[in-house]
Amino acid sequence: MDQQYLKQKAAWLRRVLFDMLSSAEQGHPGSVMSLVDVLVALFYGGVMRFEVNNPNVNWRDRIVISKGHATMGLYPIYADLGYFDRKELDSFCTPDGILKSFGNTSISGIDATTGSLGHGPGIGVGYALAAKYDGLDSRVFVVISEGEMYEGSIWESALMAAHHNLDNLVIILDRNRKIILGDTEELLRLEPISEKWKAFGFHTVMTNGHRFSELLQAFSNIGKTNSQPLLVIANTVKGKGIPLMEGQGNWHYWQNINKQTKDEIRHHLIANENNPQ
Amino acid sequence: MNDAIFQRDVFIEEIFQAAKKDRDIFFVSADFGAPSLDKYREELPLQFLHSGISEQHMIDMAAGFALAGKKVYVYAMAPFITLRCLEQTKCALAIMNLPVTILAVGVGLGYADAGPTHYATEDIACMRAIVGLEVISPCDEVSTRACAQQTIDDPKLRVIRMERNALPPVYKTHGELGITGYTELEFGKDVCVLSYGNTLHRVLEARKESRASTFGVIDLYRVKPIDASLTKVLDRYNAIVTVEEQCLSGGFGSAVLEVMAAAGLQKPVKRLGLEERYYFENGGREYLLDHFGLAVTNILQTVKQLSVG
Repeated sequence: MDQQYLKQKAAWLRRVLFDMLSSAEQGHPGSVMSLVDVLVALFYGGVMRFEVNNPNVNWRDRIVISKGHATMGLYPIYADLGYFDRKELDSFCTPDGILKSFGNTSISGIDATTGSLGHGPGIGVGYALAAKYDGLDSRVFVVISEGEMYEGSIWESALMAAHHNLDNLVIILDRNRKIILGDTEELLRLEPISEKWKAFGFHTVMTNGHRFSELLQAFSNIGKTNSQPLLVIANTVKGKGIPLMEGQGNWHYWQNINKQTKDEIRHHLIANENNPQ
Repeated sequence: MNDAIFQRDVFIEEIFQAAKKDRDIFFVSADFGAPSLDKYREELPLQFLHSGISEQHMIDMAAGFALAGKKVYVYAMAPFITLRCLEQTKCALAIMNLPVTILAVGVGLGYADAGPTHYATEDIACMRAIVGLEVISPCDEVSTRACAQQTIDDPKLRVIRMERNALPPVYKTHGELGITGYTELEFGKDVCVLSYGNTLHRVLEARKESRASTFGVIDLYRVKPIDASLTKVLDRYNAIVTVEEQCLSGGFGSAVLEVMAAAGLQKPVKRLGLEERYYFENGGREYLLDHFGLAVTNILQTVKQLSVG
């Protein structure tokens, strides 16, 4: 896979997402930007299987953004694939637009309505079990935040996934270390994360969530886990790609910034788009 | 057809017959059983799942199945499958409007003398608040089978509230059931009493005992949505009584008041139900109902108080 191509796509995605967020002055930039490279690896790195002309084809891979506040990361990708008109991106969070801050199944390509944390893994287990029952090859990708690991239902679903040998289920943990009030390890310790999931019967892989080679290597484990469901821990930086936001908990949600700051960020993102790093 | 039956068994029998012909039907239990379920599990093991004692996960997983085109039944004790996972029912089922049937067994004080953790005395209020969720409480074998058939023929998001104890017959044939979600079982004048499920049997007993009175009795088995035509029936009476094995806040009687208010129907209404408290007393379900406001005599006295003639 051409790394430069993926970097180009990531730079494009960050710029488009910033434009949407900046225009709407709402949404969750920190959580979306940390996930961008994961989404690019999945959709442009040849991982996700889908049919451009038929978003609902039954053999497709499913993706459930359980950290629903980051679902908007999919919108520019789906517009790019032609699932809906690109003009919709300009109408994000406006009365006339179909695209909301949180995704829902009325939007083409969105496989589950999310927003409240902790539901995605259970929905993913249902999808994955149904696929196996129907003899379909489709895999199910569920993106969770580390903050979701505080929700007990996550672990209920983990038990079920391992018991049923759901090697077609991939949970991607966007480990950006931040929840709204600060760092997870200071507020309520989550580590050792990998060991917890291993104890629940998952095959776990640790990656740098901004390095495509590592992400693609991690996803290459799908189907080679000795029947275990797969957990990909993507170590990420909240707000990645926008220096003002990187590692800043307060950028979980959009903050008021003036036009000059917006312009500076945009110029930075466009420069990166012209010369992806 | 004259024997008392366990609703869970007849309901599952109907689902079992349907599931044999429809491989997209799935039955999920949170460690709750029934003799009929044993048979189902034995003959259709691929269409059965044990979710663990994990109601929250069970509902989320059911959503995934439903999104994949399956018709899912989730099954557990009433207090837990309603309130424990209420937010899952909202977010994973109702918001996506998925055709999942929630089977809640042991409503009201059904699990006496376990105590209030095991009683479902607030579930009508909570479940009927969920947008688009149908709330149905059948009262006997015929209505339970009809209800099961409806979930098969027209899958949608519903909660079926069933009793723990065996129930004697009320209906003889499916044809007696109103298609509107209620049935006027006894025609009367002056006062009309509405109830459902277990307490409906107490209302019917009161009707038998009341030789002088000829109050009407309505089985309002679908408390959400209530068909607007109900208010026309109620308009024939002078006063209304509702009887429910629930705390009164937002419950069955509240639902009746809401449709009456919407129709501008002004009649005296008395709601009989449980006190707004948790019950720790022992004595069994019938004892508790007899002593805490839902005795047959309570129903008769209330009707008498409201009777004008």
